[in-house]
Amino acid sequence: MSSLSSDKLETMFYRMALARSIERLIQKHTREHKFSGWWHPGEGQEAAPIGATAALEDDDYLWYQGRGSAWALGKGMKPGPILGDLLGKMNGATRGKGGGVPHWADYSIGVMGEGATLGSVYPLAGGSALASKIRKDGRVSLANFGDGTTARGTFHETMMHAAAWKLPLIYFCENNGLLVGTRLSDVSPTTNIADFAAGYHIPGVTVDGQDTVAVYEATREAVARARAGEGPTLIEAKVVRRRGHYSGDPQNYRSESEFDDYRDPLDVHALLLGGNTAARLLEEAEADVKAAYDEAMAAPSPDASVIERDLYHVA
Amino acid sequence: MSHEMMGYNAAMGLALVEEMRRDDSIFILGQGVATGGWFGAEKGLASEFGTDRVIDCGISEAFEAGLAAGASIAGMKPVVNMGFGDFALIAGDEIYHKLAKWRYMHGLDVPMHAVIIFPIGTMGGAGPEHSSCTEVLGMHFPGLKVVVPSNAEDAKGLMKAALREPNPVLFHSVQGLGWSRGDVPLDPEFIVPIGKAAIKRPGTSLSIITYGSMVPRSLEAAEALAGEGIDAEVIDLRSLVPLDWDCVLSSVSRTHRAMVVHEAAKTAGPGAEIAAQIQERIFFDLEAPVMRLGARDFPLAQHADLEALAIPSVDAIAAMARELAAI
Ligand SMILES: Cc1ncc(C[n+]2csc(CCOP(=O)(O)OP(=O)(O)O)c2C)c(N)n1
Repeated sequence: MSSLSSDKLETMFYRMALARSIERLIQKHTREHKFSGWWHPGEGQEAAPIGATAALEDDDYLWYQGRGSAWALGKGMKPGPILGDLLGKMNGATRGKGGGVPHWADYSIGVMGEGATLGSVYPLAGGSALASKIRKDGRVSLANFGDGTTARGTFHETMMHAAAWKLPLIYFCENNGLLVGTRLSDVSPTTNIADFAAGYHIPGVTVDGQDTVAVYEATREAVARARAGEGPTLIEAKVVRRRGHYSGDPQNYRSESEFDDYRDPLDVHALLLGGNTAARLLEEAEADVKAAYDEAMAAPSPDASVIERDLYHVA
Repeated sequence: MSHEMMGYNAAMGLALVEEMRRDDSIFILGQGVATGGWFGAEKGLASEFGTDRVIDCGISEAFEAGLAAGASIAGMKPVVNMGFGDFALIAGDEIYHKLAKWRYMHGLDVPMHAVIIFPIGTMGGAGPEHSSCTEVLGMHFPGLKVVVPSNAEDAKGLMKAALREPNPVLFHSVQGLGWSRGDVPLDPEFIVPIGKAAIKRPGTSLSIITYGSMVPRSLEAAEALAGEGIDAEVIDLRSLVPLDWDCVLSSVSRTHRAMVVHEAAKTAGPGAEIAAQIQERIFFDLEAPVMRLGARDFPLAQHADLEALAIPSVDAIAAMARELAAI
């Protein structure tokens, strides 16, 4: 049985609900052209990020790949800076420099950001893990990526060294079987990403990615190994990409029957909560997202001075 | 404070030792750094600082540069010796996207320390894929600082500045100068600031704007020209980003004639930018077009003699200066 308290289970559900609510809002407003078309919907995949981040501490490092908003929300970011960015407003986390392909970061809670050139987070996460090893600060680094991104050379380069050096690193793959419209099976010798772990002599774990608790447990074990100096773990969460690759993707490479066995991760998690808790948290999350949306709509748009900010740091 | 005669690479190494003693968030990684480095700059570091801070990597340049970026974002001060400037292309995403843009694209005003050492240029037959001058790439991707020392003293002083700089620095060490020796200050506070050019030889007839391996050659050419009544000013840029435009423009405004000399390929090389800006900014001070001398636009040959023929020689620099002075 899981070691999760009911408080923690509620926080997790609330964060999933925030992510879902943001997804729905974006889908609605993309059609009104308020959001940039670069959004990669994360609807249906919320359980993996929420379960994984629940096993991390605030000062653990998260490097995310950026499908949906749940990784950042799971680590503790608020809807305000997220929606502000998506709407290109001054109250956004990057004041409009990030946005559709999100570059939200908040170093104070270990949200280190995203590289939009996929596969770039492997060595970056390796770098923060190496920093932790040198400083002996006990922090764990988690790199999140999709199954398609396992084709990058940096996947191998980083894990080869991380395994040899026993870095406190977790590779966390959301395996939805698709890279845009290409099937993983067309480009990979295996559709089980966890298989790759054997080559690095590290544990490879496959979990049900629609189940927050299963994901939490797997990640908790990997975190414990990392903190104990036993090195990296590769976790593969089998997930379902419920929507298109990007918002507006006609998805003519898929059929509806793919979703016959679909289990909504929010429904799976709601069963763990008592009474009307799920309904209450959904409402709360929706209201918080609505408030963040209104606030962002009222916030000023960035002016040209934003272009000149943050290029160089002056000591 | 005293000085000591030492080689260019040893001077870089001295800066590393001094700064690593001062600041334990500095660590160095690369291929073979724990066993002294390919060119000797890291000699002795592992025995003093241990293999936790002097780290050997496999053949994985993208990883090495990305590791530096990640460690830097996490608050450490990594130094990577990439072996050759050519390998910038293997780690292009990590250097020109991640190191250069991470802080900007995430809208953060935070320090980001990282020094990438790129040995550049010809060294007598290293071949087309081990001799490229890639410094222009750093000029094209805002967010990085770009330095190229031309002598042992600057190799130390610029390395010290780079190690204290809260922005990623691409430190181009010049392979052809690796064993050249110079009188290097032993003062641990001796720093050559990034972004400050040096007038190596004052003159009145024309300005030779150069850096790296072409500094000693330009000085030699200038001495030969002096006997012919051409008094060339030689400017060592030392940093390409930021570039000391005040020094360059005021020199050219005085001499009214300018030529840019570098070992990097001529087409779209650093000289293209420098010449263009001189003409944009002080056109009416000029009495002649700004000229450029760079490597011929071919891959370099493995044969050392062919290699030497492809890059500017002392004679070629002098010949261009004569041509420029005569206009
Ligand atoms: C290096 C790189 N190549 C290509 C792309 C374009 N691209 C964006 S998302 C994507 C598919 C990613 O697939 P996967 O890693 O499986 O993640 P998923 O989209 O399934 O979440 C591609 C090809 C990119 N952003 N970066």
